[in-house]
Amino acid sequence: MRVRFWGVRGSIPVPGRTTSRYGGNTSCVEVRPRGGAPIIIDAGTGLRRLGKALMEDGFADGRGEASILISHTHWDHVQGLPFFSPLYRAGNRIQIFARQRDTHLEAVFSQQHGAPYFPVPLSAMQAEMSFHALTEGARFELGGARVTSTRLNHPWTALAYRIDVDRAAVVYCSDTAPFTDLLLGREFVVDPPALDRPLPPDVAAELARMRAAVVGLATGADLLIYDTQFTHDEYRLRPHWGHSHPDDALAIARDAQVRRLCLFHHAPLRSDDDNDAILARYRGVAAAAGDRFEVLSAYEGLELALGDEP
Amino acid sequence: MKIRFWGVRGSIPAPGPDTIRYGGNTACVSVHGRAGGLVIIDMGTGLMHLGNALMAGPFGAGRGTATILLSHTHWDHIQGLGFFAPVFVPGNAFTVWGPGGSPDVLEDILEGQMDPNFSPLQTLKNFSADFDVHAIELGAPLTAEGLTITAREHPHGSTTALAFRITEPGSPAVPGSPGTADRTFVYASDVGQPTGAGPDPAAIAFYRGADVLLHDATYRPADQATRRNRGFSSYEDAADAAIAAGARRLVTFHYDQDYTDDDVDDVVASCRRALDARGGAAIDLVPAREGDELEI
Repeated sequence: MRVRFWGVRGSIPVPGRTTSRYGGNTSCVEVRPRGGAPIIIDAGTGLRRLGKALMEDGFADGRGEASILISHTHWDHVQGLPFFSPLYRAGNRIQIFARQRDTHLEAVFSQQHGAPYFPVPLSAMQAEMSFHALTEGARFELGGARVTSTRLNHPWTALAYRIDVDRAAVVYCSDTAPFTDLLLGREFVVDPPALDRPLPPDVAAELARMRAAVVGLATGADLLIYDTQFTHDEYRLRPHWGHSHPDDALAIARDAQVRRLCLFHHAPLRSDDDNDAILARYRGVAAAAGDRFEVLSAYEGLELALGDEP
Repeated sequence: MKIRFWGVRGSIPAPGPDTIRYGGNTACVSVHGRAGGLVIIDMGTGLMHLGNALMAGPFGAGRGTATILLSHTHWDHIQGLGFFAPVFVPGNAFTVWGPGGSPDVLEDILEGQMDPNFSPLQTLKNFSADFDVHAIELGAPLTAEGLTITAREHPHGSTTALAFRITEPGSPAVPGSPGTADRTFVYASDVGQPTGAGPDPAAIAFYRGADVLLHDATYRPADQATRRNRGFSSYEDAADAAIAAGARRLVTFHYDQDYTDDDVDDVVASCRRALDARGGAAIDLVPAREGDELEI
């Protein structure tokens, strides 16, 4: 399979001079099984350019098929969908998978994709769209690919996905806080909690279960894409925002014995030079720890071949 | 009056190496009055960067106030709100004026953006600053920040958007000096005449005599022709409006998300030629670019 990054940024798109090397588009990753239909993870603004590329590849003739796995429906993971050109062509088939909370998925996407926020309603899309509500731990097949999932530690919750195909595995773990200080779910957390205090045993046990499930999902993966929006110090100021940092990502990668770790979901104001420095630093940390995985940092246009690829 | 561009792009933010010179952030313009008041027009992604700049002043200390004018509620005009740092500082106060006909309707629309399915903020009520939402009455001047503001509704595809006319009173003559005349800035983004019949006389009357007319110039005419239903102007529409209204300066704005910096250079050069050919040679043409400032 090939994995290509179309949007690597968290929270909000950030055009500009200081972000143009890594890219300012929000989350979107394309997984292309060999000879198979694209499996797209998240629909941030990067999806717009992916859509244009797909239009050159069968989708302009209404013969395209794609699946979109949504980690969660926060804006930076869905805001590209109304600008996905293949939706405007009859004959294309687009399946959307996401964790459903209180509202039916189609209603959630209809709210985004119509008046008074957008000029064209979801119901006017020409492509055949289907919505598939997932529960935590869902497993299913897409063509020859096997998809598995587990819950992440993020407000309103998010799903991590693993895709196994072509004798390789890629795991997408964004957005999540570390599984240590705070259990995030439905509630809005007004004030960050005091850190380094013992957690109630039930909370600690649930966090430990979630972490073990994430490590289990990622075990032996060829590529682990992980939320590293924060530095360690930034995380300590905002543990309730539901994002992690490279130290935590390295620990997960180590426990899961992955082959490559890709830092992802860069903070909006993180400059290209900052990202270079973070990557250099954590390559050093991994080397010093004797880690056997390679550390990468996601940028728009990065493409990796995994498993059975020439 | 000082006008600064924080986001000049239409429809969706367009990051990339080929949008750096004009900028890829969606619509946001600040207007600082001579007396120190601040009016913010539209809340596209440029609003985050305006907010971060404001935090260095009174807004960082919870002593900032501003008036926000909203042309309409399409994503590219509201998507910066959740990232506007001053709304998270207690003590700051914002008065929002926008479309919708009633404050409840407009507040519900802005709430919809913060719905927990979409935003970790979950509700506007989690803002720490005062955030007071009002529906603007069309044609009725309101006074805010030492400026007089009037709104007019214009067609925008399947819906409408508001144009704003902002006037700062001139300074009175002191003995031995001529004083200064009133100064007027008109913001007219996201406007599309459905028939392409040329400037609407009522719109021209609203823009009349503007020192600066900021006008939608999303498209080249050829691109507009295939996308007329989207409700945007071409640079020719912008030139025609500026000429008909007798504007002194024309600002092109809301560039298509697919236009590179070189494309926008071409839009601007073509707009200059259209002005010159149609009787607007005396009109200054100022392309909106992120970070640029104009003084009237």
